[in-house]
Amino acid sequence: MTKKLLGLAGIGKERLHLAWVSSAEAQRFVEIVNDVTESIKSQGKFDPKAFSFELDAAEMTLAGETLRWLVGKEVKITKDGDVYGRKWDTDSFESILDSVLEREFQMNLICQAIKDGCKSVRDISARIGLNLMRISYLMADMEKRKMVEFTGMEDSKPVFAVM
Amino acid sequence: MVDFEPKIVAFLCNWCAYAGADLAGVSRLQYPSNIRTVRVMCSGRVDPVFIIKAFKQGCDGVLVSG
Repeated sequence: MTKKLLGLAGIGKERLHLAWVSSAEAQRFVEIVNDVTESIKSQGKFDPKAFSFELDAAEMTLAGETLRWLVGKEVKITKDGDVYGRKWDTDSFESILDSVLEREFQMNLICQAIKDGCKSVRDISARIGLNLMRISYLMADMEKRKMVEFTGMEDSKPVFAVM
Repeated sequence: MVDFEPKIVAFLCNWCAYAGADLAGVSRLQYPSNIRTVRVMCSGRVDPVFIIKAFKQGCDGVLVSG
């Protein structure tokens, strides 16, 4: 999940490696460290300042309760079914998780953009590169969730603030 | 770019990978010094937020190993 998010954020999921090594496998550990170092070397330096926006949004996404609930319920939903008694196979659960992840990340990007002084939908779009339709759609949800609020009109454009 | 030495944060499980790393040291196996180890009691302890924090603070890669 974190890998997918890093991919979404444009940081690149190849910067995060996962590996399982047992305590007796020193040789394997050395091989893994070599591989990881080579891989990161070939990807070059990572500049956190260039990605500060994305990193903040990613952190908010991962710390947020929506994803934590969903991930925590994975076994229950795929094994016993959801509260309506519907069973989900792992693939459909994964695809829902992906779409929620993307949506939450984009919402948090919008939050970041508003905090950064982009007030109208057009400003936000210019800042984070999402299209206007998608931003308006997400903003409607965010208003319901009391993440943003409509503060009035400026030059006949609706403007918003983070709550 | 030839001389680029990446900074890699490695979250190692105390009972698995950390012991593996220790054994690698004891058996004098050479491995790159780019990794900065963080020992955790279980790799399940690693919160995704830690990984983002590591990137925020300027590391180039993260390895989670259990």
